Amino acid sequence: MPMSRRALAAVAVALVLPLSACGSGGDDGGTTDASGKVEGDITFQTWNLRANFKPYFEGVIADFEHKYPGTHVKWVDQPAEGYADKLSADAAGGTLPDVVNVSPDLVAPLAKAGLALDLDKAAATYRSEYLEGAWAGHRIPGMSGTYAFPWYLNTGPLFYNKALFEKAGLAPDQPPRTYDELFFDALRMAQKSDGKVATLANVPTIEDFGRYGVPLMNEQGTGFTFNDAKGVELLTRYKQLYDAKALDPQALTATGESAGKKFLTGAVAMNPGSALDLGNFKKNAPGLYRNIGITDQITSSGHVNMYVMGVMVNSRTRHTPAAVAFAHFVTDARNQMAFAKKVAIFPSTAGSLDDPYFTEEDGTDETRVRIAAAKSLKSAVNYTPVLFSEQMKTALRNEVAKALQGKESPREALDNAVEAADRLLQQG
Amino acid sequence: MAAPLRVKRQLLVSPWLFAAPGLLITGAFVLYPFASTLANSFTDRRTLLPGHFVGLANFRELLHDDMFWTGLRNSFLYILGVVPALVVLPLLLALLVRKNIPGITFFRSAFYTPVVASIVVVGLIWVWLLDERGLVNSLLESVGIGRIGFLSDQWLLLLSAMAVTVWKGLGYYMIIYLAALANVPRELHEAAAVDGAGPVRRFLSVTVPAVRSTMVLVAALSSVAAFKVFSEVYLMAGPNGGPAGEDTTLVMLVQRTGTGLTGRVGYASALSVVVFVVTVALMLLVLRADRREER
Repeated sequence: MPMSRRALAAVAVALVLPLSACGSGGDDGGTTDASGKVEGDITFQTWNLRANFKPYFEGVIADFEHKYPGTHVKWVDQPAEGYADKLSADAAGGTLPDVVNVSPDLVAPLAKAGLALDLDKAAATYRSEYLEGAWAGHRIPGMSGTYAFPWYLNTGPLFYNKALFEKAGLAPDQPPRTYDELFFDALRMAQKSDGKVATLANVPTIEDFGRYGVPLMNEQGTGFTFNDAKGVELLTRYKQLYDAKALDPQALTATGESAGKKFLTGAVAMNPGSALDLGNFKKNAPGLYRNIGITDQITSSGHVNMYVMGVMVNSRTRHTPAAVAFAHFVTDARNQMAFAKKVAIFPSTAGSLDDPYFTEEDGTDETRVRIAAAKSLKSAVNYTPVLFSEQMKTALRNEVAKALQGKESPREALDNAVEAADRLLQQG
Repeated sequence: MAAPLRVKRQLLVSPWLFAAPGLLITGAFVLYPFASTLANSFTDRRTLLPGHFVGLANFRELLHDDMFWTGLRNSFLYILGVVPALVVLPLLLALLVRKNIPGITFFRSAFYTPVVASIVVVGLIWVWLLDERGLVNSLLESVGIGRIGFLSDQWLLLLSAMAVTVWKGLGYYMIIYLAALANVPRELHEAAAVDGAGPVRRFLSVTVPAVRSTMVLVAALSSVAAFKVFSEVYLMAGPNGGPAGEDTTLVMLVQRTGTGLTGRVGYASALSVVVFVVTVALMLLVLRADRREER
């Protein structure tokens, strides 16, 4: 049956209309000038912080509104799960809040889309208040500028189960401190437990390659390099662990949460964590807590890994001075220090880590972990490249799994992962 | 003659007014997204970056994407594993619970409970059961079989997810079959019994032909649902789709590719178009097979 002209027109409109949405986004946003009067209504979005820290944030907001009459801050909090999806939906729909809690890998695509305010232009005066490395944490290779205020930092030790170490004939007070010792102990543990107790529960991630001393990207930030000889060496050693069941058999499908549960139940002997986990062990696994051992992260580079949180200002905000002032207020030394005393995080402001809270022992495990972490943070590195997207992480994880299963050699797997990551990088 | 003219006008307008809410909702949430997806499939659009027309480049890329073929394979395997079970087992279950005997309501409700349970809760329960140190493996170990890697082996993971889909869907299709069985004339069974047919013979020669059209409906519904499976595999195999992504289904691939701040919306749209085409083809295939049977 021939199609009528009207039907054809309708189909054409239906196909062409959505394409109009593909045009470049209109720049109806604000200004990079943050020097005006601090006033107006702004929205502040945090990342899964309301449940535990509601009074703290309400206090910060009240202080800000008191300091700057004429401002009103609406606080919204989003769950941890699907946070990137929520941000992308808001960004695409033009409803991104004025001030947003981000991590460096989240801020990179937002900055590329022109949605993150360049703080080197809008807030350069505040730069000296932060640790140099932390301020640089939100720079994007290939772009000039800094796109978020540094907020809290985190790092943590390696926890290990002393009882499992003892059972395997390993000295419970001499945990592994080098990669050689780690791999030796892991193989011994698997052998002694007949493959029932693994030492590690996660496959190596990009951070692990960084910690092992593998160069992750070239200097120009235009290509990945983790398929070099050292990267292949690390993956080959993990393959030995996997074959001997020293790496948990379910590691190929594990998440951070499932690995943590395995450690809680004694199925795995070592797991990375933070001071926050001690409370969890005490409450949910008292048996494990009695046998908990704490040691430093293992690195070949001499620098432990740190996680950096940031606070980004939406470049389209209608109240740039208020948004910049609030983002700075939340992340200033006083408020970061107050936040650090509520939860096991570390301030990114200059000099804060020298506070007695981070340097003086009081005999508790929590303080010991906190002091050790604060000390290591001074030279810590955020190994995850800001341009390493979720799709790239998936590509690496899949290739690592193929190598561990023996479907590809470690060299082939890493070459394929680098090729996939480079392709995704080129696609923008 | 003004009144009849007004009535005529009202007759023209009224049906559209009644249909308007439905049409608007369908237009906004079905037709527009569909047209948008179709249009995006010919662009290189990203979540936050505008796209440009790239013709059939996304579809050409699909052909060389190993993960696409893995997803297509798994989605078809899911149909092969799930559909026969969901066509036959609920029918047997319906035969079992259709008789009105004391306490049968409890069993009907029990069989239906998984249907109304949240898939996330169900998925997590099965993950706990099938874990390396879960109940099932502990039982297997206690009887000397040893632990089985239900959640670490690529094929066992897919089979485990299929088992959950079948277990969760049994009650739903059982209800459909119960309605169909209520329409099978009792006289046919009585006549067959008089002719000396036993229970199995009566099932094959009376029940099955009588509910054949319902079986076709169940096959069509369950094959479309199986091809579009997401939650069960996502929950059991993890967001990565199992070891090395080998358990990824097509819909999981759409989700993984097209979401997030760096999502490839254009490519994910092309994947969605393929899912749509295959789903329609499946429906047509089942209906054509039914028509051929009828002839």
